[in-house]
Amino acid sequence: MSDVTSDVTHHSAAASLEHVAAPISSDDAAEALKHGPRGALLVASIAVAIILAGWLAFYFLLFLPRGSIG
Amino acid sequence: MAEAQIPSLLRPLPDGIVPAEQIARTEKRWLLLMVGMLAAMMVVVVVTGVTHAIRPPSNVETIDPTTLHLSGEFVESNLGTAPEPDGSLTVRMIADQYAFVPDCVNVAVDTPVKFRLTSTDVIHGFLLPATNVNTMVVPAFVAEVRTRFTRPGVYRMPCNEFCGNGHHGMWARVNVVPKEQFQALAPTERSSCVQR
Repeated sequence: MSDVTSDVTHHSAAASLEHVAAPISSDDAAEALKHGPRGALLVASIAVAIILAGWLAFYFLLFLPRGSIG
Repeated sequence: MAEAQIPSLLRPLPDGIVPAEQIARTEKRWLLLMVGMLAAMMVVVVVTGVTHAIRPPSNVETIDPTTLHLSGEFVESNLGTAPEPDGSLTVRMIADQYAFVPDCVNVAVDTPVKFRLTSTDVIHGFLLPATNVNTMVVPAFVAEVRTRFTRPGVYRMPCNEFCGNGHHGMWARVNVVPKEQFQALAPTERSSCVQR
């Protein structure tokens, strides 16, 4: 443990309720999520599509033109 | 903090706010999407592997590392670049702590080149940038890889398998020159570009 002392009192961000609690009422959240987490799915789909496009680009534009080494 | 003091808008959302059947349907669709993506990647790899005859460098050929310098393919006079009757080139090199021998070879551009390497001591790595060549060089085995350089230039060739304290200094060069220039080289210059 450190012996350094400080007069400044530090607080975790989690000490403030607005940092950890949902800024939405339960009823509104239930209404927004009744068809599933569509926003999260959209973000995840875009991320996966970018990864897949990158893999295809590397495979067809870089790996295949360099030829087989075996 | 007591429950009564939390404004209703800031209360953490309760569990089970999304209907269980909705969660199950979402997970099933995402799983199908992932399986479909993996299947598509597998199809691409297998189809192009078969149509382009792509296979890993799985040359299983053994050699006695204790007698490399005495006789056989890897004696000193046989190292470097050698032309083959079909117009291709074969480059023979030895990897040891901490150098490739020879550490500079000449090859011609747009010509099939076969690299044959072996090690005298520990496992080394052989990598040529801007090509697919990347293989391990294992003592008692002969590593064999083929490629074709499409552009002239000097290709720096690092050992990419940690082989000891001097690993970072284990470099060699492949000097890719135009065909006419390669033909004009004297036989000893063709076999290697080591500074004498």
